[in-house]
Amino acid sequence: MSNAYIDKFPAEAKVVKAAFYSSFLALALGGVFGVIQTLHRTDIYRFIDSADYYTVLTAHGVFMVITFTIFFLVGVFTWAVTTSLDRGVEDIRFTWSWVGLMTIGTVMAGVAILAGFVDSIDISASVLFTFYAPLQAHPLFYLGLVLFVVGTWVAGADWFRSWWAWKKENPDARIPLPTFMVLTTMIMWYIATMGVATSILVFLLPWSLGWIETVNPLLTRTLFWFFGHPVVYFWLMPAYLLWYTMLPKFAGGKLFSDPLARVGFVLFLLLSTPVGIHHQYLDPGIAEGFKFIAMTNTMFLLLPSFLTAFTVVASIEHGARQRGGTGYFSWLKSLPWRDPVFAGMALAGLLFAAAGFSGMVNAGMNINYLVHNSLWVVGHFHLTVGTAVALTFMAVSYWFIPQVTGKELWNRSVALIQVVLWFIGMTFMTNSMHRAGLIGMPRRTAEPQYTGFEFETAVGSVGELNAQIALGGVLLTLSLVLFFANIIGTAFGSRSDNLPDNGYAEALSGSDDAPRVLDNLKLWTAIAVVLVIIAYSLPLMSIVDRGGLFGPDITAFPANLESVRFLAFAVEHLGTAALESAGTLAWNTLPEVIR
Amino acid sequence: MRISKAGLLVVLAFLAPVLVELRTVLAWVNIELSVLETAIIGGIIIAVILVWAFLPENGDEEGAERDVSNSEL
Repeated sequence: MSNAYIDKFPAEAKVVKAAFYSSFLALALGGVFGVIQTLHRTDIYRFIDSADYYTVLTAHGVFMVITFTIFFLVGVFTWAVTTSLDRGVEDIRFTWSWVGLMTIGTVMAGVAILAGFVDSIDISASVLFTFYAPLQAHPLFYLGLVLFVVGTWVAGADWFRSWWAWKKENPDARIPLPTFMVLTTMIMWYIATMGVATSILVFLLPWSLGWIETVNPLLTRTLFWFFGHPVVYFWLMPAYLLWYTMLPKFAGGKLFSDPLARVGFVLFLLLSTPVGIHHQYLDPGIAEGFKFIAMTNTMFLLLPSFLTAFTVVASIEHGARQRGGTGYFSWLKSLPWRDPVFAGMALAGLLFAAAGFSGMVNAGMNINYLVHNSLWVVGHFHLTVGTAVALTFMAVSYWFIPQVTGKELWNRSVALIQVVLWFIGMTFMTNSMHRAGLIGMPRRTAEPQYTGFEFETAVGSVGELNAQIALGGVLLTLSLVLFFANIIGTAFGSRSDNLPDNGYAEALSGSDDAPRVLDNLKLWTAIAVVLVIIAYSLPLMSIVDRGGLFGPDITAFPANLESVRFLAFAVEHLGTAALESAGTLAWNTLPEVIR
Repeated sequence: MRISKAGLLVVLAFLAPVLVELRTVLAWVNIELSVLETAIIGGIIIAVILVWAFLPENGDEEGAERDVSNSEL
């Protein structure tokens, strides 16, 4: 008998497996729509009407960055909490309830999107992944999103419940690192989803149902981006969790520093949300000063990113040297490149470095004007979520799927070729997307070429750029085919006792070296909330003041400027109270840290 | 071999971004390569890497064994 995850936690393994298979189904659908839009937009092969392009784009976006990523990460988080606390979930029926909520939500939103292809059905949701006004979807789409997000909230409650139960039995123990990462990520998610919940429940859903006639588009955009940037970290932080706690193990070594990992996650909790306005640098309704604050906050996010890069590379180097590696760079040869799990995750991290550089261009207010809403941005997020996250998730699946099914991976060589092919495909596609963006080629359009206008490329031609994007898209599709062949082959295999043990990397510098204040989740939550209030209260009040809650001079609900002032007063007092409580917490915990 | 087969695969994959970006970088110094010229340069670099990879290290066969990375593919 092996010591795999399924052997220790058979009931939880079923939940994780269901989450992974749901995510893979979304990945398959998203992949099909991805290659259709790539070939259509580049005019290489067209078989859909250009009007349907936006339905395809919505399906690709929602299935990939909402369903695939989040279903996968809830599986990873369930594994992380149960493994690191060494206890099963408190109530497996409760656990299945959030899986059910997320599934129902996905089906509802998916049906609303896909119905857009059928003219005889009066349902559509071609509102793109960003879904803010003035684009309007069928209520089914918004209700589906609500159920899906509520499902993730319940999932978070499930993991907190496990931690609280564990804490009662281990009152003085440090939070195990994987659980710490899950909890900080979920606190960030709870804060971030307040924006999208408000946007949907107060504005978009009543508007879609016809209960209110108009909305303030800038307000719904701002509330979306309140959630829209931290959702990027909701995808990335599970990948970071895997890079910190699993990659060192696959490399043959240990995590370089547990305290640095905790600091990184605390910083992500604090800084992920008060930065969303950097997506709105070109929105005329927001004052430049607020945008400057958002830019400053965004630049601070480089700190945990660099911490992560340093810690992960140091851990990999430690692994290589444990395997006999020597020299300044020769140790790279000693890494287990034959292992698709390691190779895929390492290649994902490599392209993520490039994503960081293009992200800095997006974050800078002045340079952003050059690339805003251009194909550059699409190139950027295909390196972040499309590679750093997706490739890490696919690569680590080759370790997880045997753990939760009890079956050996069908073919390791195919798996290695698959991750390498994804790396090459994404290189071709994103390079040309960035270059196309630099010459001003727009995103979110089926027809990027305008009549009587020629883009002037720095190198090559527009035709070459398009061919390179299409080549990348085709290679990515081939990579997906290999991935699914391997997953299906594994799923239909037979049980094996020859599986690697479940577990995660030990640390060279462990949790005992980390100040205890890092585990004070109440303190970090309070500071995160205060930062959000500082970054968002004035811009939101200004937007409502100028454009009304439901548009200029429209008071659909019993709301008026007086109530906004009352709201501002309440927010101000809440902020002061939160600051006071944060100060008290800091005052109480600092002596402990100093001791 | 001086490198494992899997290591060689990753090195060749890493060549993709290098070659793709090389064209842009050279354009800054007024050297404009066509797609065909870039492909030929890429082919030459791949050939050089393959020759280097398959040469025995220091004229003996032990080099291949010294690489602790799994060389089966």
